[in-house]
Amino acid sequence: MKALLILLALPAILLPTACLLYILYQALPALNWSLIAGSDTANISNMSSAGQALWHQISGSLLLMMLANILAAPLALSMAFFHALIASRQQKMILMTFLQVLQGIPPIVYGLCGLILLVHLLHWGISLATGAVILAIIILPLLSSNIIHALERIPAEQTEAAAALGMSKAAIVLRVWFPLAWTSMLTGLVLAMARSLSETAPILFTATVFSGIAWPDSLFSPVTSLQTHIFYLAQEGSNAQAIHVAWASAAVLLALVLLFSLTALFLRRYKESS
Amino acid sequence: MRNKIFILLVLSGCFIASLSSLAPIWFLWDTSWPFWSSYGISSLWGTEWYPFESLFGLLPAIVGSIWVLIIAMGVAIPCGLAAAIVSSEILPASWQNLLRVSMEVLAGIPSVVYGLIGLWVLLPWLQQHLGLLTGHSLLAAGLILSLMILPTIMVMALDALRLVPAEQREAAINLGLDWEQRLYRVLLPQAWPGIRTGMLLGLGRALGETMAVMLVVGSMDRLPQPIYNILEPAQTLTSRIGREMGEASFGSMHFSALLACGLVLALFASLLSLLAHRKSKQAHP
Repeated sequence: MKALLILLALPAILLPTACLLYILYQALPALNWSLIAGSDTANISNMSSAGQALWHQISGSLLLMMLANILAAPLALSMAFFHALIASRQQKMILMTFLQVLQGIPPIVYGLCGLILLVHLLHWGISLATGAVILAIIILPLLSSNIIHALERIPAEQTEAAAALGMSKAAIVLRVWFPLAWTSMLTGLVLAMARSLSETAPILFTATVFSGIAWPDSLFSPVTSLQTHIFYLAQEGSNAQAIHVAWASAAVLLALVLLFSLTALFLRRYKESS
Repeated sequence: MRNKIFILLVLSGCFIASLSSLAPIWFLWDTSWPFWSSYGISSLWGTEWYPFESLFGLLPAIVGSIWVLIIAMGVAIPCGLAAAIVSSEILPASWQNLLRVSMEVLAGIPSVVYGLIGLWVLLPWLQQHLGLLTGHSLLAAGLILSLMILPTIMVMALDALRLVPAEQREAAINLGLDWEQRLYRVLLPQAWPGIRTGMLLGLGRALGETMAVMLVVGSMDRLPQPIYNILEPAQTLTSRIGREMGEASFGSMHFSALLACGLVLALFASLLSLLAHRKSKQAHP
Protein backbone atom coordinates (compact mmCIF):
# COMPACT_ATOMS: atom_id res chain seq x y z
CA MET A 1 0.00 0.00 0.00
CA LYS A 2 2.76 2.43 0.93
CA ALA A 3 4.66 1.47 -2.19
CA LEU A 4 1.59 2.08 -4.35
CA LEU A 5 1.05 5.47 -2.75
CA ILE A 6 4.66 6.47 -3.30
CA LEU A 7 4.42 5.27 -6.88
CA LEU A 8 1.36 7.46 -7.43
CA ALA A 9 2.89 10.39 -5.61
CA LEU A 10 6.14 10.41 -7.54
CA PRO A 11 4.78 11.89 -10.78
CA ALA A 12 2.84 14.47 -8.80
CA ILE A 13 5.98 15.61 -7.05
CA LEU A 14 8.46 15.21 -9.89
CA LEU A 15 6.52 16.29 -12.98
CA PRO A 16 5.93 19.95 -12.08
CA THR A 17 9.57 20.29 -11.10
CA ALA A 18 10.61 18.59 -14.31
CA CYS A 19 8.47 21.09 -16.23
CA LEU A 20 10.25 24.00 -14.59
CA LEU A 21 13.65 22.54 -15.35
CA TYR A 22 12.62 21.77 -18.92
CA ILE A 23 11.54 25.38 -19.50
CA LEU A 24 14.91 26.57 -18.23
CA TYR A 25 16.70 24.00 -20.39
CA GLN A 26 14.85 25.18 -23.49
CA ALA A 27 15.15 28.84 -22.66
CA LEU A 28 18.82 29.06 -21.75
CA PRO A 29 20.19 28.93 -25.32
CA ALA A 30 17.94 31.79 -26.42
CA LEU A 31 18.05 33.75 -23.23
CA ASN A 32 20.67 36.43 -23.19
CA TRP A 33 20.80 40.08 -22.47
CA SER A 34 20.41 41.20 -26.05
CA LEU A 35 17.13 39.33 -26.34
CA ILE A 36 15.71 41.26 -23.43
CA ALA A 37 17.28 44.64 -23.98
CA GLY A 38 17.25 44.42 -27.75
CA SER A 39 20.67 45.85 -28.46
CA ASP A 40 21.20 43.15 -31.02
CA THR A 41 19.31 44.53 -33.99
CA ALA A 42 21.05 42.58 -36.72
CA ASN A 43 18.88 39.47 -36.71
CA ILE A 44 15.57 41.24 -36.31
CA SER A 45 15.15 42.49 -39.82
CA ASN A 46 14.11 39.24 -41.45
CA MET A 47 11.72 37.87 -38.88
CA SER A 48 9.13 40.46 -38.14
CA SER A 49 8.48 40.17 -34.45
CA ALA A 50 9.99 36.95 -33.24
CA GLY A 51 13.29 38.72 -32.91
CA GLN A 52 11.87 41.76 -31.21
CA ALA A 53 13.37 42.68 -27.88
CA LEU A 54 11.42 41.25 -24.99
CA TRP A 55 11.80 44.49 -23.09
CA HIS A 56 8.60 45.88 -24.61
CA GLN A 57 6.61 42.83 -23.64
CA ILE A 58 7.98 42.85 -20.12
CA SER A 59 7.17 46.52 -19.61
CA GLY A 60 3.69 45.99 -21.09
CA SER A 61 2.97 43.14 -18.70
CA LEU A 62 4.26 45.07 -15.71
CA LEU A 63 2.30 48.17 -16.73
CA LEU A 64 -0.94 46.18 -17.00
CA MET A 65 -0.23 44.59 -13.63
CA MET A 66 0.54 47.86 -11.87
CA LEU A 67 -2.51 49.65 -13.25
CA ALA A 68 -4.81 46.75 -12.41
CA ASN A 69 -3.54 46.65 -8.85
CA ILE A 70 -3.74 50.42 -8.42
CA LEU A 71 -7.36 50.26 -9.55
CA ALA A 72 -8.26 47.23 -7.47
CA ALA A 73 -6.44 47.99 -4.21
CA PRO A 74 -8.62 50.89 -2.95
CA LEU A 75 -11.79 49.02 -3.82
CA ALA A 76 -10.54 45.87 -2.11
CA LEU A 77 -9.50 47.88 0.94
CA SER A 78 -12.91 49.46 1.20
CA MET A 79 -14.57 46.04 0.88
CA ALA A 80 -12.34 44.75 3.66
CA PHE A 81 -13.04 47.75 5.93
CA PHE A 82 -16.75 47.40 5.24
CA HIS A 83 -16.45 43.74 6.27
CA ALA A 84 -14.47 44.52 9.39
CA LEU A 85 -16.12 47.72 10.63
CA ILE A 86 -19.62 48.14 9.33
CA ALA A 87 -21.15 44.87 8.20
CA SER A 88 -23.54 42.91 10.38
CA ARG A 89 -23.06 39.16 10.75
CA GLN A 90 -25.48 38.44 7.97
CA GLN A 91 -23.97 41.02 5.64
CA LYS A 92 -20.54 39.50 6.27
CA MET A 93 -21.82 36.10 5.22
CA ILE A 94 -23.40 37.49 2.06
CA LEU A 95 -20.22 39.40 1.22
CA MET A 96 -18.01 36.34 1.65
CA THR A 97 -20.30 34.16 -0.46
CA PHE A 98 -20.38 36.87 -3.11
CA LEU A 99 -16.58 37.04 -3.20
CA GLN A 100 -16.27 33.26 -3.40
CA VAL A 101 -18.70 33.01 -6.30
CA LEU A 102 -16.86 35.79 -8.11
CA GLN A 103 -13.55 34.02 -7.56
CA GLY A 104 -14.96 30.94 -9.23
CA ILE A 105 -16.04 32.67 -12.45
CA PRO A 106 -13.51 31.96 -15.22
CA PRO A 107 -11.38 34.98 -16.22
CA ILE A 108 -12.26 34.55 -19.89
CA VAL A 109 -15.85 35.40 -19.06
CA TYR A 110 -14.72 38.75 -17.67
CA GLY A 111 -12.66 39.16 -20.82
CA LEU A 112 -15.79 38.69 -22.93
CA CYS A 113 -17.75 41.20 -20.89
CA GLY A 114 -14.92 43.69 -21.05
CA LEU A 115 -14.86 43.25 -24.81
CA ILE A 116 -18.53 44.19 -25.00
CA LEU A 117 -18.65 47.05 -22.54
CA LEU A 118 -15.24 48.67 -22.72
CA VAL A 119 -14.04 47.93 -26.23
CA HIS A 120 -17.31 48.24 -28.11
CA LEU A 121 -19.85 50.18 -26.07
CA LEU A 122 -17.50 52.72 -24.51
CA HIS A 123 -15.21 52.78 -27.57
CA TRP A 124 -12.04 52.46 -25.55
CA GLY A 125 -10.79 50.10 -28.21
CA ILE A 126 -8.14 47.48 -27.65
CA SER A 127 -6.19 49.36 -25.05
CA LEU A 128 -4.15 49.43 -21.90
CA ALA A 129 -7.06 50.92 -19.96
CA THR A 130 -9.43 48.12 -21.02
CA GLY A 131 -6.94 45.44 -19.98
CA ALA A 132 -6.22 47.11 -16.67
CA VAL A 133 -9.90 47.43 -15.77
CA ILE A 134 -10.62 43.81 -16.72
CA LEU A 135 -7.63 42.56 -14.74
CA ALA A 136 -8.65 44.73 -11.80
CA ILE A 137 -12.13 43.17 -11.76
CA ILE A 138 -10.58 39.70 -12.00
CA ILE A 139 -8.24 40.19 -9.04
CA LEU A 140 -10.72 42.19 -6.95
CA PRO A 141 -12.36 39.20 -5.21
CA LEU A 142 -9.00 37.56 -4.52
CA LEU A 143 -7.49 40.77 -3.18
CA SER A 144 -10.54 41.59 -1.04
CA SER A 145 -10.65 38.19 0.59
CA ASN A 146 -6.88 38.25 1.19
CA ILE A 147 -7.18 41.61 2.96
CA ILE A 148 -10.27 40.49 4.86
CA HIS A 149 -8.36 37.46 6.16
CA ALA A 150 -5.41 39.66 7.05
CA LEU A 151 -7.66 41.94 9.11
CA GLU A 152 -9.37 38.99 10.74
CA ARG A 153 -6.06 37.83 12.16
CA ILE A 154 -5.69 41.04 14.18
CA PRO A 155 -6.44 40.16 17.82
CA ALA A 156 -9.85 41.47 18.83
CA GLU A 157 -8.44 42.86 22.11
CA GLN A 158 -6.35 45.39 20.21
CA THR A 159 -9.36 46.74 18.36
CA GLU A 160 -11.47 46.73 21.51
CA ALA A 161 -8.78 48.55 23.48
CA ALA A 162 -8.53 51.16 20.76
CA ALA A 163 -12.30 51.60 20.66
CA ALA A 164 -12.38 51.86 24.46
CA LEU A 165 -9.87 54.70 24.24
CA GLY A 166 -12.45 56.53 22.18
CA MET A 167 -10.65 56.31 18.87
CA SER A 168 -12.78 56.82 15.80
CA LYS A 169 -13.05 54.12 13.16
CA ALA A 170 -10.73 55.99 10.83
CA ALA A 171 -8.16 56.31 13.60
CA ILE A 172 -8.43 52.63 14.48
CA VAL A 173 -7.73 51.73 10.87
CA LEU A 174 -4.81 54.12 10.54
CA ARG A 175 -3.17 53.85 13.95
CA VAL A 176 -3.91 50.26 14.97
CA TRP A 177 -4.71 48.08 11.98
CA PHE A 178 -2.15 49.32 9.48
CA PRO A 179 0.84 48.98 11.83
CA LEU A 180 -0.36 45.55 12.94
CA ALA A 181 -1.39 44.03 9.66
CA TRP A 182 0.55 45.74 6.91
CA THR A 183 2.72 42.71 6.19
CA SER A 184 -0.21 40.37 5.68
CA MET A 185 -2.06 42.98 3.65
CA LEU A 186 1.03 43.45 1.51
CA THR A 187 1.28 39.67 1.11
CA GLY A 188 -2.25 39.67 -0.26
CA LEU A 189 -1.41 42.46 -2.66
CA VAL A 190 1.73 40.73 -3.91
CA LEU A 191 -0.22 37.52 -4.50
CA ALA A 192 -2.78 39.48 -6.49
CA MET A 193 0.08 40.97 -8.51
CA ALA A 194 1.38 37.51 -9.33
CA ARG A 195 -2.11 36.51 -10.36
CA SER A 196 -2.59 39.50 -12.63
CA LEU A 197 0.75 38.82 -14.28
CA SER A 198 -0.25 35.30 -15.16
CA GLU A 199 -3.71 35.97 -16.58
CA THR A 200 -3.63 35.64 -20.34
CA ALA A 201 -7.00 34.84 -21.85
CA PRO A 202 -8.90 37.96 -20.73
CA ILE A 203 -6.36 40.41 -22.16
CA LEU A 204 -5.76 38.52 -25.38
CA PHE A 205 -8.43 40.35 -27.38
CA THR A 206 -8.97 43.34 -25.19
CA ALA A 207 -5.60 44.90 -24.42
CA THR A 208 -2.76 43.46 -26.41
CA VAL A 209 -1.46 43.24 -29.93
CA PHE A 210 1.26 40.98 -31.20
CA SER A 211 3.96 43.48 -32.03
CA GLY A 212 4.83 46.93 -33.15
CA ILE A 213 4.24 48.70 -29.87
CA ALA A 214 7.30 49.77 -27.96
CA TRP A 215 5.64 51.81 -25.27
CA PRO A 216 1.94 52.74 -25.28
CA ASP A 217 1.37 56.39 -26.22
CA SER A 218 -1.61 56.79 -23.95
CA LEU A 219 -3.98 54.82 -21.76
CA PHE A 220 -6.08 54.13 -24.81
CA SER A 221 -3.51 52.56 -27.04
CA PRO A 222 -2.78 48.84 -27.18
CA VAL A 223 0.20 47.24 -25.47
CA THR A 224 2.23 44.11 -25.96
CA SER A 225 2.50 41.67 -23.10
CA LEU A 226 4.67 38.74 -22.25
CA GLN A 227 1.74 36.37 -21.74
CA THR A 228 0.13 36.94 -25.10
CA HIS A 229 3.55 37.05 -26.77
CA ILE A 230 4.13 33.46 -25.65
CA PHE A 231 0.72 32.49 -26.97
CA TYR A 232 1.30 33.95 -30.41
CA LEU A 233 4.85 32.63 -30.74
CA ALA A 234 3.88 29.15 -29.56
CA GLN A 235 1.70 28.73 -32.62
CA GLU A 236 4.38 29.65 -35.12
CA GLY A 237 5.30 26.04 -35.63
CA SER A 238 7.48 26.48 -38.69
CA ASN A 239 9.74 29.12 -37.23
CA ALA A 240 12.36 27.58 -34.96
CA GLN A 241 13.59 30.98 -33.81
CA ALA A 242 10.08 31.91 -32.71
CA ILE A 243 9.85 28.82 -30.54
CA HIS A 244 13.14 29.63 -28.89
CA VAL A 245 11.94 33.11 -28.13
CA ALA A 246 8.70 31.62 -26.82
CA TRP A 247 10.61 29.45 -24.34
CA ALA A 248 12.74 32.39 -23.34
CA SER A 249 9.64 34.55 -22.80
CA ALA A 250 8.12 31.75 -20.75
CA ALA A 251 11.22 31.67 -18.57
CA VAL A 252 11.12 35.44 -18.10
CA LEU A 253 7.41 35.38 -17.26
CA LEU A 254 7.99 32.54 -14.82
CA ALA A 255 10.83 34.45 -13.20
CA LEU A 256 8.59 37.49 -12.75
CA VAL A 257 5.70 35.48 -11.32
CA LEU A 258 8.03 33.53 -9.04
CA LEU A 259 9.59 36.78 -7.89
CA PHE A 260 6.18 37.92 -6.68
CA SER A 261 5.07 34.65 -5.15
CA LEU A 262 8.40 34.17 -3.37
CA THR A 263 8.16 37.73 -2.05
CA ALA A 264 4.76 36.82 -0.66
CA LEU A 265 6.22 33.73 1.00
CA PHE A 266 9.08 35.75 2.42
CA LEU A 267 6.68 38.35 3.81
CA ARG A 268 4.66 35.60 5.47
CA ARG A 269 7.80 34.17 7.07
CA TYR A 270 8.87 37.64 8.17
CA LYS A 271 5.46 38.13 9.77
CA GLU A 272 5.66 34.80 11.58
CA SER A 273 9.15 35.40 12.89
CA SER A 274 8.56 38.93 14.14
CA MET B 1 -16.53 64.53 10.86
CA ARG B 2 -13.35 62.78 9.71
CA ASN B 3 -14.96 59.55 10.69
CA LYS B 4 -18.01 60.24 8.55
CA ILE B 5 -15.86 61.00 5.52
CA PHE B 6 -13.99 57.75 6.09
CA ILE B 7 -17.19 55.73 6.32
CA LEU B 8 -18.51 57.46 3.22
CA LEU B 9 -15.32 56.59 1.34
CA VAL B 10 -15.53 52.96 2.41
CA LEU B 11 -19.18 52.69 1.42
CA SER B 12 -18.66 54.31 -1.97
CA GLY B 13 -15.66 52.03 -2.59
CA CYS B 14 -17.83 49.03 -1.81
CA PHE B 15 -20.54 50.36 -4.08
CA ILE B 16 -18.14 50.75 -7.01
CA ALA B 17 -16.61 47.34 -6.32
CA SER B 18 -19.90 45.49 -6.26
CA LEU B 19 -21.18 47.40 -9.24
CA SER B 20 -18.11 46.54 -11.30
CA SER B 21 -18.27 42.92 -10.22
CA LEU B 22 -21.94 42.60 -11.00
CA ALA B 23 -21.88 44.47 -14.28
CA PRO B 24 -20.14 41.64 -16.19
CA ILE B 25 -22.80 39.18 -15.08
CA TRP B 26 -25.54 41.49 -16.26
CA PHE B 27 -23.81 42.03 -19.61
CA LEU B 28 -23.41 38.29 -19.98
CA TRP B 29 -27.14 37.87 -19.63
CA ASP B 30 -28.12 40.91 -21.65
CA THR B 31 -25.91 40.21 -24.64
CA SER B 32 -26.64 36.51 -24.81
CA TRP B 33 -30.39 37.18 -24.63
CA PRO B 34 -30.86 37.50 -28.43
CA PHE B 35 -29.36 34.04 -28.75
CA TRP B 36 -31.57 32.46 -26.09
CA SER B 37 -34.69 34.13 -27.45
CA SER B 38 -34.16 33.02 -31.05
CA TYR B 39 -32.61 29.57 -30.55
CA GLY B 40 -34.04 28.67 -27.20
CA ILE B 41 -32.74 26.44 -24.48
CA SER B 42 -32.72 23.47 -26.85
CA SER B 43 -29.46 24.71 -28.42
CA LEU B 44 -27.81 23.35 -25.26
CA TRP B 45 -28.16 19.88 -26.74
CA GLY B 46 -27.83 20.83 -30.40
CA THR B 47 -24.95 18.91 -31.95
CA GLU B 48 -23.99 21.21 -34.81
CA TRP B 49 -21.91 24.38 -34.41
CA TYR B 50 -21.41 26.17 -37.71
CA PRO B 51 -21.55 29.93 -37.02
CA PHE B 52 -21.60 30.80 -40.72
CA GLU B 53 -24.66 28.69 -41.33
CA SER B 54 -26.33 29.92 -38.16
CA LEU B 55 -26.15 26.56 -36.47
CA PHE B 56 -25.32 27.01 -32.82
CA GLY B 57 -25.39 23.75 -30.89
CA LEU B 58 -23.50 23.85 -27.61
CA LEU B 59 -23.38 20.10 -27.02
CA PRO B 60 -19.98 19.35 -28.63
CA ALA B 61 -18.24 21.95 -26.47
CA ILE B 62 -20.08 20.84 -23.34
CA VAL B 63 -19.18 17.19 -23.98
CA GLY B 64 -15.61 18.27 -24.65
CA SER B 65 -15.46 20.20 -21.39
CA ILE B 66 -16.88 17.27 -19.45
CA TRP B 67 -14.38 14.82 -20.97
CA VAL B 68 -11.47 17.12 -20.25
CA LEU B 69 -12.62 17.51 -16.64
CA ILE B 70 -13.02 13.74 -16.21
CA ILE B 71 -9.52 13.08 -17.54
CA ALA B 72 -7.96 15.88 -15.51
CA MET B 73 -9.64 14.82 -12.28
CA GLY B 74 -8.98 11.14 -12.97
CA VAL B 75 -5.26 11.81 -13.08
CA ALA B 76 -4.94 14.65 -10.61
CA ILE B 77 -7.03 13.30 -7.71
CA PRO B 78 -5.21 9.98 -7.16
CA CYS B 79 -1.76 11.51 -7.75
CA GLY B 80 -2.39 14.65 -5.71
CA LEU B 81 -3.97 12.74 -2.86
CA ALA B 82 -1.17 10.20 -2.83
CA ALA B 83 1.41 12.98 -2.84
CA ALA B 84 -0.35 14.65 0.09
CA ILE B 85 -0.52 11.40 2.08
CA VAL B 86 3.10 10.55 1.33
CA SER B 87 4.37 13.98 2.30
CA SER B 88 2.31 14.31 5.46
CA GLU B 89 2.58 10.73 6.75
CA ILE B 90 5.81 9.32 5.39
CA LEU B 91 8.24 12.13 4.66
CA PRO B 92 9.93 14.05 7.51
CA ALA B 93 8.57 17.48 8.43
CA SER B 94 11.31 19.50 6.76
CA TRP B 95 10.65 17.80 3.41
CA GLN B 96 6.98 18.37 3.92
CA ASN B 97 7.44 22.12 4.29
CA LEU B 98 9.67 22.27 1.27
CA LEU B 99 7.12 20.36 -0.80
CA ARG B 100 4.28 22.54 0.35
CA VAL B 101 6.12 25.72 -0.50
CA SER B 102 7.15 24.46 -3.92
CA MET B 103 3.60 23.30 -4.65
CA GLU B 104 2.26 26.69 -3.68
CA VAL B 105 4.73 28.31 -6.03
CA LEU B 106 3.87 25.86 -8.80
CA ALA B 107 0.19 26.66 -8.43
CA GLY B 108 1.02 30.17 -9.62
CA ILE B 109 2.62 29.21 -12.92
CA PRO B 110 0.76 30.99 -15.73
CA SER B 111 -1.47 28.79 -17.80
CA VAL B 112 0.02 29.93 -21.07
CA VAL B 113 3.33 28.42 -19.99
CA TYR B 114 1.60 25.10 -19.46
CA GLY B 115 0.10 25.56 -22.89
CA LEU B 116 3.56 25.96 -24.34
CA ILE B 117 4.71 22.79 -22.62
CA GLY B 118 1.62 20.97 -23.84
CA LEU B 119 2.08 22.12 -27.39
CA TRP B 120 5.78 21.38 -27.73
CA VAL B 121 6.33 18.49 -25.33
CA LEU B 122 3.11 16.62 -24.72
CA LEU B 123 1.70 16.74 -28.25
CA PRO B 124 4.80 15.34 -30.00
CA TRP B 125 4.97 12.65 -27.32
CA LEU B 126 1.34 11.65 -27.82
CA GLN B 127 1.80 11.76 -31.57
CA GLN B 128 4.70 9.37 -31.36
CA HIS B 129 3.39 6.92 -28.80
CA LEU B 130 -0.29 6.77 -29.68
CA GLY B 131 0.10 7.18 -33.42
CA LEU B 132 -2.09 10.26 -33.61
CA LEU B 133 -2.14 12.62 -36.54
CA THR B 134 -1.11 15.75 -34.65
CA GLY B 135 -1.63 14.89 -31.01
CA HIS B 136 -4.28 17.60 -30.62
CA SER B 137 -6.89 15.83 -28.53
CA LEU B 138 -9.11 15.88 -25.48
CA LEU B 139 -6.60 13.56 -23.84
CA ALA B 140 -3.80 16.10 -24.23
CA ALA B 141 -5.97 18.88 -22.80
CA GLY B 142 -6.98 16.70 -19.87
CA LEU B 143 -3.39 15.74 -19.09
CA ILE B 144 -2.17 19.34 -19.18
CA LEU B 145 -5.05 20.40 -16.95
CA SER B 146 -4.26 17.63 -14.49
CA LEU B 147 -0.73 18.99 -14.21
CA MET B 148 -2.14 22.45 -13.55
CA ILE B 149 -4.58 21.47 -10.82
CA LEU B 150 -2.30 18.97 -9.08
CA PRO B 151 -0.73 21.61 -6.80
CA THR B 152 -4.14 22.93 -5.73
CA ILE B 153 -5.46 19.49 -4.85
CA MET B 154 -2.25 18.48 -3.13
CA VAL B 155 -1.87 21.61 -0.99
CA MET B 156 -5.49 21.48 0.17
CA ALA B 157 -5.27 17.76 0.98
CA LEU B 158 -1.95 18.25 2.76
CA ASP B 159 -3.36 21.06 4.90
CA ALA B 160 -6.43 18.97 5.73
CA LEU B 161 -4.28 15.99 6.76
CA ARG B 162 -2.06 18.20 8.90
CA LEU B 163 -5.10 19.56 10.71
CA VAL B 164 -6.08 16.10 12.00
CA PRO B 165 -5.42 16.43 15.75
CA ALA B 166 -2.44 14.56 17.17
CA GLU B 167 -4.71 12.96 19.82
CA GLN B 168 -6.65 11.21 17.09
CA ARG B 169 -3.50 9.76 15.60
CA GLU B 170 -2.23 8.67 18.99
CA ALA B 171 -5.56 7.13 19.92
CA ALA B 172 -5.53 5.19 16.67
CA ILE B 173 -2.03 3.92 17.35
CA ASN B 174 -3.00 2.92 20.90
CA LEU B 175 -5.92 0.96 19.53
CA GLY B 176 -3.40 -1.11 17.63
CA LEU B 177 -4.53 -0.05 14.18
CA ASP B 178 -1.87 -0.57 11.55
CA TRP B 179 -0.80 2.14 9.13
CA GLU B 180 -3.38 1.35 6.46
CA GLN B 181 -6.24 1.17 8.91
CA ARG B 182 -5.23 4.47 10.44
CA LEU B 183 -5.21 6.00 6.99
CA TYR B 184 -8.62 4.71 5.95
CA ARG B 185 -10.46 4.84 9.25
CA VAL B 186 -9.02 7.94 10.87
CA LEU B 187 -7.01 10.25 8.67
CA LEU B 188 -8.96 10.30 5.43
CA PRO B 189 -12.43 10.57 7.01
CA GLN B 190 -11.19 13.38 9.27
CA ALA B 191 -9.53 15.25 6.45
CA TRP B 192 -12.26 14.59 3.90
CA PRO B 193 -13.96 18.03 3.99
CA GLY B 194 -10.68 19.77 3.20
CA ILE B 195 -9.81 17.25 0.53
CA ARG B 196 -13.20 17.69 -1.08
CA THR B 197 -12.83 21.47 -1.09
CA GLY B 198 -9.49 21.11 -2.83
CA MET B 199 -11.02 18.81 -5.43
CA LEU B 200 -13.90 21.18 -6.14
CA LEU B 201 -11.56 24.17 -6.38
CA GLY B 202 -9.35 22.20 -8.76
CA LEU B 203 -12.41 21.24 -10.77
CA GLY B 204 -13.45 24.88 -10.98
CA ARG B 205 -10.00 25.93 -12.12
CA ALA B 206 -9.91 23.18 -14.73
CA LEU B 207 -13.33 24.20 -16.01
CA GLY B 208 -12.36 27.82 -16.46
CA GLU B 209 -8.86 27.32 -17.82
CA THR B 210 -8.50 28.72 -21.30
CA MET B 211 -5.03 29.20 -22.68
CA ALA B 212 -3.52 25.78 -22.08
CA VAL B 213 -6.63 23.99 -23.30
CA MET B 214 -6.98 26.23 -26.32
CA LEU B 215 -3.45 25.44 -27.47
CA VAL B 216 -3.71 21.66 -27.27
CA VAL B 217 -7.34 20.71 -27.77
CA GLY B 218 -7.42 21.24 -31.53
CA SER B 219 -10.60 23.34 -31.73
CA MET B 220 -12.71 20.98 -33.82
CA ASP B 221 -16.40 21.68 -33.44
CA ARG B 222 -17.99 18.28 -33.47
CA LEU B 223 -18.99 15.57 -31.09
CA PRO B 224 -16.31 12.94 -30.47
CA GLN B 225 -17.04 9.95 -32.72
CA PRO B 226 -17.86 7.67 -30.94
CA ILE B 227 -18.65 9.65 -27.83
CA TYR B 228 -15.82 8.10 -25.78
CA ASN B 229 -13.18 8.88 -28.41
CA ILE B 230 -10.79 11.18 -26.57
CA LEU B 231 -7.95 10.92 -29.08
CA GLU B 232 -9.40 13.27 -31.66
CA PRO B 233 -9.33 17.06 -31.82
CA ALA B 234 -12.36 18.53 -30.12
CA GLN B 235 -13.55 21.72 -28.46
CA THR B 236 -14.33 22.86 -24.95
CA LEU B 237 -16.43 25.81 -23.85
CA THR B 238 -13.42 27.91 -22.91
CA SER B 239 -11.38 27.08 -25.99
CA ARG B 240 -14.33 27.98 -28.20
CA ILE B 241 -14.70 31.38 -26.57
CA GLY B 242 -10.96 31.96 -26.78
CA ARG B 243 -10.72 30.92 -30.43
CA GLU B 244 -13.76 32.73 -31.75
CA MET B 245 -13.85 35.80 -29.55
CA GLY B 246 -11.52 37.65 -31.90
CA GLU B 247 -13.34 36.78 -35.09
CA ALA B 248 -17.01 37.10 -34.17
CA SER B 249 -18.27 40.54 -35.13
CA PHE B 250 -19.81 42.57 -32.34
CA GLY B 251 -23.60 42.43 -32.24
CA SER B 252 -23.90 39.35 -34.44
CA MET B 253 -25.70 36.18 -33.46
CA HIS B 254 -22.32 34.42 -33.37
CA PHE B 255 -21.10 36.83 -30.70
CA SER B 256 -24.30 36.37 -28.79
CA ALA B 257 -23.85 32.60 -28.96
CA LEU B 258 -20.33 32.92 -27.57
CA LEU B 259 -21.75 34.92 -24.69
CA ALA B 260 -24.23 32.11 -24.16
CA CYS B 261 -21.27 29.72 -23.86
CA GLY B 262 -19.78 32.13 -21.34
CA LEU B 263 -23.02 32.20 -19.38
CA VAL B 264 -23.19 28.40 -19.21
CA LEU B 265 -19.55 28.35 -18.11
CA ALA B 266 -20.05 31.03 -15.45
CA LEU B 267 -23.12 29.27 -14.06
CA PHE B 268 -21.30 25.93 -13.74
CA ALA B 269 -18.22 27.56 -12.26
CA SER B 270 -20.05 29.62 -9.65
CA LEU B 271 -22.06 26.55 -8.67
CA LEU B 272 -18.80 24.67 -8.14
CA SER B 273 -17.22 27.39 -6.03
CA LEU B 274 -20.37 27.74 -3.94
CA LEU B 275 -20.31 24.01 -3.36
CA ALA B 276 -16.61 24.04 -2.50
CA HIS B 277 -16.87 26.79 0.08
CA ARG B 278 -20.17 25.76 1.64
CA LYS B 279 -18.81 22.35 2.56
CA SER B 280 -15.57 23.73 3.91
CA LYS B 281 -17.48 26.14 6.14
CA GLN B 282 -19.17 23.24 7.89
CA ALA B 283 -15.90 21.45 8.37
CA HIS B 284 -13.98 24.24 10.09
CA PRO B 285 -16.49 26.34 11.94
